[in-house]
Amino acid sequence: MSPVTRSMEATEAASAAAVARARRAQPSGWWGAVLLIATEVTLFSCLIATYFYLRFKSVEWPLGGIEKPSVGLPLALTALLVASVVPMAAAVRAAKRGRAGLAWWLLAAATAIQAVYLGLQIHLFVGDLGSFSPSDNAYASIYFALPGIHHLHVAVGLLIDAWLLAKLSGGLSNYRLVALRVGALYWYFVAAVAIPVVLTQLYPSL
Amino acid sequence: MAVAVPPATRERLERLERIWKEPSGALGWLTTVDHKRIGILYFFTSLGFFAAGGVEALLIRTQLIGPNQSTLDPNTFDQVMTMHGVTMIFLFVVPMSLGAFGNYLVPLMIGARDMAFPRLNAFSYWVYLFAGIFVYVGLLSGNGPGAGWFDYVPLASKAYSPGPGIDFYALGLIFVGISTTAAAINFIVTIFKLRAPGMSINRMPLFCFAFLAVSFALVFALPPLNTALILLELDRLLGFHFYDVARGGDAILWQNLFWIFGHPEVYIIILPAFGIATSIIPTFVRRRMVAFPMVALAEILVAFIGFGVWAHHMFAVGLATATAVYFAAASLVIVIPSGIQLFAWITTIVTGTPRFKTPLLWIVGFIVLFILGGLSGVMFAAIPFDQQLTDTYFVVAHFHYVIFGAAVFPLLGGMYYWFPKVTGRMYHEGWGQASFWLTFVGMNITFFPMHILGLDGMPRRQYTYPPGMGWTGLNLIETLGSYLLAAGLISVIVNLAVSFFRGARAGNDPWEGDTLEWSTTSPPPAYNYAVIPTVSSPYAMWDRKDRERDLRNLEEGEKVLAQGHETVATTAVDAEWDEILEMPSHSPWPPVVALAIAGVFAMLLLGQWIAAGVFALLAMAPLGAWLWKEPQAT
Amino acid sequence: MSPLEPHSPASHDIAALWWGMLIVAGIVFLGAIGMLIVGWVRRDRRGLPLIGESERFNTGLVVAFGIVIPAVVLVALFAISDLVVIRDTEAPAAGSASLTVTVIGHQWFWEARYPGTPAVTANEIHIPVRTKVEIRARTADVIHSFWVPELNRKIDMIPGQVNRIELDAERAGVYRGQCAEFCGFQHAHMAFAVYAEPRRRFRAWLANMSKPARPPAAPAARQGMRYFMEDGCAGCHTIRGTEAGGTIGPDLTHLASRQTIAADTLTNTPANLLRWIESPQSVKPGAKMPGLGLGAARFHAIVDYLAGLR
Ligand code: HEA
Ligand code: HEA
Ligand code: HEC
Ligand code: CUA
Ligand SMILES: [Cu+2]
Repeated sequence: MSPVTRSMEATEAASAAAVARARRAQPSGWWGAVLLIATEVTLFSCLIATYFYLRFKSVEWPLGGIEKPSVGLPLALTALLVASVVPMAAAVRAAKRGRAGLAWWLLAAATAIQAVYLGLQIHLFVGDLGSFSPSDNAYASIYFALPGIHHLHVAVGLLIDAWLLAKLSGGLSNYRLVALRVGALYWYFVAAVAIPVVLTQLYPSL
Repeated sequence: MAVAVPPATRERLERLERIWKEPSGALGWLTTVDHKRIGILYFFTSLGFFAAGGVEALLIRTQLIGPNQSTLDPNTFDQVMTMHGVTMIFLFVVPMSLGAFGNYLVPLMIGARDMAFPRLNAFSYWVYLFAGIFVYVGLLSGNGPGAGWFDYVPLASKAYSPGPGIDFYALGLIFVGISTTAAAINFIVTIFKLRAPGMSINRMPLFCFAFLAVSFALVFALPPLNTALILLELDRLLGFHFYDVARGGDAILWQNLFWIFGHPEVYIIILPAFGIATSIIPTFVRRRMVAFPMVALAEILVAFIGFGVWAHHMFAVGLATATAVYFAAASLVIVIPSGIQLFAWITTIVTGTPRFKTPLLWIVGFIVLFILGGLSGVMFAAIPFDQQLTDTYFVVAHFHYVIFGAAVFPLLGGMYYWFPKVTGRMYHEGWGQASFWLTFVGMNITFFPMHILGLDGMPRRQYTYPPGMGWTGLNLIETLGSYLLAAGLISVIVNLAVSFFRGARAGNDPWEGDTLEWSTTSPPPAYNYAVIPTVSSPYAMWDRKDRERDLRNLEEGEKVLAQGHETVATTAVDAEWDEILEMPSHSPWPPVVALAIAGVFAMLLLGQWIAAGVFALLAMAPLGAWLWKEPQAT
Repeated sequence: MSPLEPHSPASHDIAALWWGMLIVAGIVFLGAIGMLIVGWVRRDRRGLPLIGESERFNTGLVVAFGIVIPAVVLVALFAISDLVVIRDTEAPAAGSASLTVTVIGHQWFWEARYPGTPAVTANEIHIPVRTKVEIRARTADVIHSFWVPELNRKIDMIPGQVNRIELDAERAGVYRGQCAEFCGFQHAHMAFAVYAEPRRRFRAWLANMSKPARPPAAPAARQGMRYFMEDGCAGCHTIRGTEAGGTIGPDLTHLASRQTIAADTLTNTPANLLRWIESPQSVKPGAKMPGLGLGAARFHAIVDYLAGLR
């Protein structure tokens, strides 16, 4: 038999890292995450296409005299979310080297940034709701729906973070390492898609 | 055939048996993660929905048996008509082909011991079951959706459909979509990761190519549908205005989003059938498929081009001419891959030595009906003709030929073909052939006259029609035909049911089949293969040497992998050994999570936002627990 | 109402297209079935007649029948239908039509207006024969589809959009049309008729339609008019020249000149009229007109009034 790994035997940091290095193909979990992300990217593409479809059907935009969105804070927040990718990627690297403790702290740092991001975004969202409502017109509807759906993804990501932090606090294993990579992939997607989402939302002011 | 089994071999088999054993009885079915048992659950559930959709079809036909009938009032007719389409498309064909056939057969054909994500697979099933029930609660409580299966706005908006019917439709389809998305991802990963060592992509059976293509199509086709449905529910439940022209929304937006999904969906429906045809034909004509690589490529091309033709369902909405012409051209291009496959089947049959047993009869019937349905489809790509005949019974004729004739016939043929594998018994051949002819004749009597009705100007989706239009006679014939058709289908089911108890023993390989599943016992053991099979061509069963090698391996204990729930993961393209995976075993969580999600959708339907949130959290807890348990070496 | 009994240039072309496609499809179908029959006849022998077993030749067959021949057929079909015939069924060029009619779809009846005149009618569209008429199709609620198969292809009526189509009847006559897009409960009873008439008759008709309703003379009808105005009918129906100005239901100014009522559901006789206004829900379940339960005497009077609106 060829030199094959029994990956489930890797139940502590060093052997998990060794399995990760010996692997010739991506693990199933990685493939699953990539495909899930493919559907999600398609979903956001459809939402963004909807935005511009509605936009080009109307003469005025924003509709109904709604004020143009202000640009500063949303862009800064997006930059913050994108920046959270750095500790996330570093956590994966650390884990692949078998450094479980470091990976945990880096993941915690990323989580903190993401939590702050979501908190501020919810604040913005509620603020906007104070000045106009999604049931005013189609512009308002898509203005709230598009980022709203993105915020939901961020919230799910935070749940994943929490699960990973709990799991990694018990040290590393092959399973946990793959889980961390999957979680990180999800966050790369959420951060990357935040850029077109925010640019679309701010489009009237750009 | 009592060949003495060497004690070492027997010991290995017993060990595998012990390791892969699941709880027995109802609890076993509830917690199963075995792809074969899940496939069987899918089979019976989707058969049940087929029966429901069939009863609805017969109600429609009975209402239309003559002019001004009153079997159904307009409200009920609209709900029954809508639910017939929804049931057949979302709750019958796709779950039957993907869930039942795919689940049972794909792991077997690639020599794996389970799907890549067994618990996700169970979860898909439970979600499907609950979603189906969810949609039917609407119909049975008199609140079914009544705006047709493509549910055009503004008819489907709150203003024109104030009851909860459309919410059952929209939320139900999002709910089913969770199941289908999960299943599609599972198939892709299974096919990429779990093929037996040696089964490089070009040695994969065409059946698996078809399922791969379908799964990819689903991954990209469902999001537009989900977008359309989410926007619809935001409009309906929260008063948003995506589709409301008066407030800057747009009604055609729905049509675009729906058909960007809808057209790929029709190829999603037919590709598994193509896969079944390409499995049955080589076995019964005793030769390999002609033009194998072209067929594989064509299967993938169909799925791909299918994304570029959606607006051919919208030729009458007043598109710009250039747009319409583009979509017509794309619709013509898609004929080419269908033509390739069609003539590859025909040439294979002509140049082989066919045995016209029941499974092959269904496939020949499928070929005939697919040509007829395909040719009427091509006519719709002639824009002026489409604009004249769209929304008439000519369309109903087209799609029942391609859906019932071309997608369901191979499913029925497949039921006969794999019946011995799944049950270990043979069906009754004479009865099988009689059922085929009954169904084939019934099918043509039911649906052929619809072409003529369309050309006589009868619009579709009418709960009744006036006398004196020249439509009466043909409608009567169709209705009688549909009863014949129903009789044919019921005789299929009765034949299989009786044979399940009385049929002769089938043995492992009654057909001299071409693919791996015929090498294991009938029915296959929980672990599928005692030895990870050796593969060196797409017709693995016809490679005698490889199969003898497997037997030797078993005696020598090579490639048995009996330390736990183990299977092999290989590289995606060349299928070289990569690692040995410990697969999860039975789990109670998938149905629990699915039930909690059902709670979320029920609460959304009732407008109980807080309760919906609570259910969402309730779903998270068992999900976390399910993921918490790590595979361990045993 | 058959697309295969064309009475206009556009419908002629579509019908010809159909017959052409049918012949080609028949050849393709018979060719493929023929191959299957060969397969059955030679079920005990491998390979092809004459050629025998050559994989290269087999693949060649797939290429020839599955790619080359279809490609030729499809290109021809594309050129003929989507580049040539399509011109005859396109929306009329601006200014090419000598008459414009606005048709508005309602759940479940058709409102027809003749721009430039006050004429408004329902479920009956009169046009001059051998004249290019532009139909401007709109909707008041959901999507409907305007379809008179003998005169042209169909065109959907989309909220917020005006779609145009040309009618050009070659012969005088009555052409049935029907709503072709599913629009709810009474989609089945949403038909109408196009009357193609010699120009003089058409003008006379239009002139009459443009006039307001004549006040009734007979006492019973006068009584009926009072009930009509006071008992709720006027809230939904317009009768020009009276105070009735509702816009939910069809304009009834010249109701009695129409051949049918309720979008081709009943022929327009006083008995049917009575049946309809007494209980529209049993004639056309789901229709947007309630049965007002005014009692037989009042309904009879209203019918007397309506039957005089020529
Ligand atoms: C299994 C499902 C299935 C399949 C496979 C197809 C296949 C095709 N369909 Fe069909 N279609 C539907 C299911 C399907 N369809 C449904 C459900 C609807 C209606 C939805 C609704 O309104 O409710 C619909 C409606 C529909 C329309 C819209 C009609 C309308 O509403 O106005 C159009 C228009 O272009 C169309 C085209 C085609 C074409 C070009 C093909 C092609 O793929 C066909 C290709 C196959 C062949 C052509 C036959 C074999 C090939 C040869 C014999 C080679 C030689 C051929 C030639 C030389 C031409 N289909
Ligand atoms: C997979 C798809 C599928 C299938 C298989 C069918 C099957 C049938 N369909 Fe349907 N049909 C659609 C998809 C399908 N249809 C769609 C999408 C629409 C459009 C809806 C819309 O406009 O919105 C439609 C519309 C439609 C109409 C037009 C309605 C209208 O426009 O008003 C009609 C009318 O005759 C019809 C008839 C039939 C008939 C007689 C069958 C028969 O073939 C059915 C025969 C089946 C049975 C009789 C079941 C037999 C039972 C068993 C095998 C199970 C036994 C098992 C147990 C007892 C456990 N269908
Ligand atoms: C709530 C609105 C409403 C009220 C009130 C109402 N109608 Fe109607 N009426 C309609 C609508 C809508 C239609 C079209 C129905 C259809 O064909 O589907 C209609 C159709 C008709 C027609 C047939 C017109 C045609 O050309 O087909 C007649 C006649 C008629 N109404 C008379 C009356 C009379 C008389 C009354 C009072 C007793 C009345 N209506 C009250 C809404 C109303
Ligand atoms: Cu109006 Cu159908
Ligand atoms: Cu299509």
